[in-house]
Parts: sequence; structure tokens; C-alpha cells
Amino acid sequence: MIEFHLEPRSGVAPYLQIVQQVKEALRLGLLDVGDQLPTVRDVVADLAINPNTVAKAYRDLERDGLVVARPGRGTFIASTLAAPSLEHHEMLRRQLKRWLEAAEQAGLDEESIRALISTTLREALVRRVA
Amino acid sequence: MAWVTWRQHRLQFLIGIGMLVSVAVAALATGLPMHAAYHRDALSACLPPTARSGCDIIVHHFQTEFGNVLRAVRYLVFFPALVGLFVGAPLVAREFEQGTYRLAWTQTVTRRRWLLSKTVLLAVATALGAFTLSALAMWWRHPFDVLEGRMSPSSFEVEGIVVPAYAVFALCLGVFAGLVLRRSVPAMCAALVGFFGVRLAVAKLLRPHYLPARHDMATGLTPDSHSHDWVLNNSIVDAVGHQITSGREDLAILHARHARIDASEYLLSLGWHRAVTFQPGSRFWVFQGVESAVFILLAAAIVLATVRLLQRTPS
Amino acid sequence: MSPALQTRALGKRYGRGWALRDCTLTIPAGAVVGLAGPNNAGKSTLLDLAVGLLAPTEGEISVLGRDPWRDAGALGSVGYVGQDAPLYRSFTVGEAVEFARATNVRWQPTAAHEFLARLSSDRRISTLSAGERARLALGLALGKRPSLLLLDEPFARLDPLAGREFLQMLMDGVAETDATVVIASHVTADIERVCDHIVLLTGGRVRLEGNVDRLLASHRLLTGASRPLGRISGVREIVRRRHSGRQMTLLARLDRPIVDASWSVDRIGLEDLLLAYMTPEQLPTPRAHEKGPLRWHG
Repeated sequence: MIEFHLEPRSGVAPYLQIVQQVKEALRLGLLDVGDQLPTVRDVVADLAINPNTVAKAYRDLERDGLVVARPGRGTFIASTLAAPSLEHHEMLRRQLKRWLEAAEQAGLDEESIRALISTTLREALVRRVA
Repeated sequence: MAWVTWRQHRLQFLIGIGMLVSVAVAALATGLPMHAAYHRDALSACLPPTARSGCDIIVHHFQTEFGNVLRAVRYLVFFPALVGLFVGAPLVAREFEQGTYRLAWTQTVTRRRWLLSKTVLLAVATALGAFTLSALAMWWRHPFDVLEGRMSPSSFEVEGIVVPAYAVFALCLGVFAGLVLRRSVPAMCAALVGFFGVRLAVAKLLRPHYLPARHDMATGLTPDSHSHDWVLNNSIVDAVGHQITSGREDLAILHARHARIDASEYLLSLGWHRAVTFQPGSRFWVFQGVESAVFILLAAAIVLATVRLLQRTPS
Repeated sequence: MSPALQTRALGKRYGRGWALRDCTLTIPAGAVVGLAGPNNAGKSTLLDLAVGLLAPTEGEISVLGRDPWRDAGALGSVGYVGQDAPLYRSFTVGEAVEFARATNVRWQPTAAHEFLARLSSDRRISTLSAGERARLALGLALGKRPSLLLLDEPFARLDPLAGREFLQMLMDGVAETDATVVIASHVTADIERVCDHIVLLTGGRVRLEGNVDRLLASHRLLTGASRPLGRISGVREIVRRRHSGRQMTLLARLDRPIVDASWSVDRIGLEDLLLAYMTPEQLPTPRAHEKGPLRWHG
């Protein structure tokens, strides 16, 4: 069963963090259809957060069609995300390695590489939102 | 609440039992020999109507022999006060001192029921203990009661049903003091002062008047024996009934001496005689009843005041 | 659903000073409410009034629809843990549970009872740690199956681990009983994690009150060049301002997103928001270099 963790200073609302962690687990194949999510009480007793927060996260996931709540039995995964297959992962990873080698050869140090990646990523996300 | 009361006061209860037992042991240790002496010397036969020669000496000897312990019995008057002090005063005061009133008074049991349950249960236990003490005192004092009566304060206040009445009153007074002052030690002091103040006031101002006092006009100057009665006033009065001060009496005696006549005859010729105001010993139980009622009513009034105060400003 | 706690112009005076004044609040059922504010702000006074330990000097308070001072039955559904978790120190754990059972009409062990069971029932309360005492007191209060739970500075004497364990037990209890909770704490960080509703008291008065998400959504930090302030479009109220050289920072309550490009707009965290309302002189600097969400204007 998945275990959640909370990053209080990340600026991301707690319920969103839970939603993201479920989606992440689905993407990585750690959760499959039919798997049960921890009960609200389990999460709350572990993380010491407001039960409404967990309930809200589960409701969001249910609205997105990812989970289904079965009264009296729990909340279960209903479908997986359309995730790139593992071959895609491998291909992307190799491409990234080549790019990193090129960046290193161009003389960029670790900090510059990180800055470049994060600003480019941010621009791409802004474009996607806009 | 019975369990709660027991659990919070069980130490006090055990100490109380312990003290009762020690007093009982001391009473038996000193009382049995005394009773034996009493019966051996057939002192009961020395009462005024059947007084025989030599009784004076026997009685006097008896009284001296056991006089010390007799005086110790007088200290039993303090026991009811102790209850007020150590059981009553901390009842509410300690809850304030330790902050546990925030636990006790935020449950479903109302403050009023909390207080009344505890007070009533403790009052019953106190009354039982005090009554045992009184019974012990009555048994112990029996020879002296026979010889000297028990109407006078030193015996009246340690026998009968007034002892539990005093104790219950002391308890309730202590509880009230604890609520008002919110600190155990000041409450104990206030309860002590209040208890003895009230007891003294009742003994001096009320008790002489529970029933109209009897007046005994002796024909002569020597008083009749009122050994078993509570003598309130014993003085010489003139023919009209005015009390003669000792100054006047001395003056008259001097005059008589000067005139070389017998002093007593002279006073008698003036129409003076002895007058004794007293409460008969036969009224012992009536007086016990009245005084107990007074203290029980006072206790009830104080409990009422405590509950009213509790409802108004607890914190 | 009727509110769990409601006050109207509530006030309490001690001698010449007012511990609480003109307090009007509505706390919705099911909320986890943080009662924040510095020491002596009136938080304990408000809780004491809610649990019937004090009577109001003026105004009204109703708890679960009833008057806690006059209505003796109101306390049956209200759980309360005072500051420093008052308990009878000479009692054992088992006796404390027995006390709770004996003084309440309805008392059922909750899941919190598991914790109570783990504590040997023969242990004397005076031998427990502060964290264990706090959780014991909470367990006793939860056993009443309260609809409203009032906690006065529960974290004051707890180390971080004990505080976390307390919060776990509390949240589990809330999940089990659906109780409304009001936690008074002068350390916002302790309650930030769980509160969905906040009430800020300073000097005996309510400074700020509302749903946390809505408050955070409607407040922004505006940074820009120092200038005389006119109306800024979108700003309903400027709560605080601070000048530092050529720059000024404002805490603003918005009713619309800011479109003025001369201001750099940042979100503010709950703790900083409360501090800003509490202490007008201090205004937090916008956290420009934090990793995390995108900075977006508006």
C-alpha cells in the first residue's frame, strides 16, 4: 500500500500533494487497478493532517476517474494514467544522458545545468498553461 | 461520584480510621482500669442521697487519680474541627491550587452535583466517625457523669449527638472557606477560626437559653447541691432579688465582724440568700437535640451558600 | 448543519481589564479551527467561556446550540483539555479512565483507547512524560464522543515528537468522531498543518477570522518601488506596509487579481499572514528564491 508524505513548506496544498503522489505512483507502476488506497484514518493517523484534506484529495481523484470509493470497503484504483511505456522511459533517459554530456563539454557546471533545465521547463509549462 | 469521592479521600478516610482506633485503644487502656476502680470502690453508692461517711475522701481520691486523663478527654472537642480543616478546606481549594478543577468541572457531572455528592458522602462518613468518638467518650466518662453529671460544657460537648453535628458543621464550613479563598492553608485557618467562633458563640449565647433556666432560691446562704446541673449563676441576692456584688458582701461581713455578730446570721437578717440559676441535668438530651439541630441547620445553610457561590463565579 | 460554536459581542472583564471584548464568531461544524494569537490575547478566556468555566460579562455564547454556563447538559458533548493537561497526578492511568467513566453519562473508549491500553493502567500519572499526559487527557476527552473538542495550548510543553504523536491521535480521533476542534496555540506552526479555519485574537479582540484557503487566496504580498499610494486596482484593503529604502512591501487583501505590472505579487504563508496581522511593524520578505510553485502574477 502506498505511503504518503507531506512537505509542509513546499507551497503546494496538502491535498494536492496527495493527489500528485497517487498520480506519481500510478505513473511509476507502483499502483495498479484494483489496489486499495490507505483509509482516511490511516493517512491521518500517520501524517497528522486534517481528515478533510485527505477526503478532498480522494474526491478529486475520484472525479478524475482514477479511483473509486466503495462505501464500507475503501477507496480503490479504477484506472491508470496514460503513461509512457517503459521503453519510452529508457529512450528518454539515453537522450538526456547524451544532452548532459554535451552540456558538460560546452563547459556548463552543475549549477548552470540545473538553472538551464528549470528555466526552460518553467517556460514550457507556462506555455502549456497559457 | 461515590467512587470519585472515595478515591480522592481514601487517604483521609484511612487516617481518620487510624485516629479513631488509637483513641479507642487509649480510651480502653485508661478507661478499663478506671471503671474497675469505680466498681471496686462502689462509688455509685456515694451519690448525695445515699452518701455515707468517707465518701468525700473516696470520691476525691478517684477524681485525682483519673483527673489527668479526664482533662485529656476534653481535647476531643478538637476532633470535629480537624475534619473541617483537613477534609473540608482542601476539597475545593486543592482543585483550584492544582488546576484540576479544569478536569473535574468540564465533565457531564455538574459542578453542583459534584460538590453536593462529595459533601454529603463525606458528611455521612464524618458523622459516623464522630458518633463513634462520642460513644467512646460517653462510655469512658460514665463514672464521672454519674458523680458529677454531664450538663457542664466540658462533658456536654464531647458526648451525645452534638459531636457529629459539630463535625458535619466543621466540614461544611471548611468546604465553603475553600471555595471562597481558593487556597488550602488560608481556608484551613479561616475554617478553624470560624468553627471555634461559632461554637463559642453558641455555647455562651444560645445554649443557656434553650429552655428557660431554673432558679433556686435557697433559704440560707449555702447552695443546694447542683452537682449534676449546669450552673449558670451562683450568687447571693438581697430580699428584692438584686444580686449582691462581692464588694457589698465583703462590706456586710466586715460590718458584722465589727459589730461582733455572726456573719451569716447578719446576712440572713438582711434578707439575703443564695440564688442559683441553672439548667437541670435532666435536660441533657433536650439540650443535645436543640444544639445538634442548630449546628445541622447551620451546616445546611452553609452548603446552600456554597452551592450558590459555586454557580456564580468559579474561576 | 448548525455551527459548533457561536458568539455575539462576547466580552469578559476582570476587574478593570477586559480579557475579551466584542468577540463575534461563527465556527462551522466539522472544522478544525486554529485559535491563534500571542500570550494573553484572550484565547484561554474564550475557551473557558465555551466550556462553562466562566460566565460572560457581556454578549452571548452558544456551544452546539446551548448556553454552556447555564445549561448543565451542554458539556456532555464537549471535550476539553486545559493547559498543561490537568490530571490528578496521584491517580493511576486506570483510575483516570475510571474517573472519566464515572463523571460522564456517555463514555466509550475510542481508538485513542489503544494508546491508553498501551500505557500500563497501573502507572501513576505523575510518572508519565508530558507527551503521555497530553495524550491521556486527550483520550479521556475523546471518550465522551464529543461533537466539539476544545484544546488549550496542547503543544506548549511537548517536544516535536510528542507534539506530532499528539496531533496524530487528535486527527485520528477527529476522523473517528467527526468532532469540530478548536486548538488554541500561540505557535502557529504547530497548528498550520491541520487547520482549515483560523481565528486570530490579539488584545482580547478578533483580528482575523475565516477559512484558511480563502484567506490565503485573498491575501498577497506586493513588492515594488516606494511611491505614494493611491488606489491599486484589485486591492480591497492594505493591511500592512513596510518601507525599506527605495522598496516598499505591502500586505494586501484582494478582491480581484492584480494586473498592475509595477507590483511583484507573491503568495504568503499562513504563519506569516498571522504575524503580519499581529505585529504591524514586521512584514515578511517575499520568498523569491524558494523552489516550488511557479511565480505567477495575479
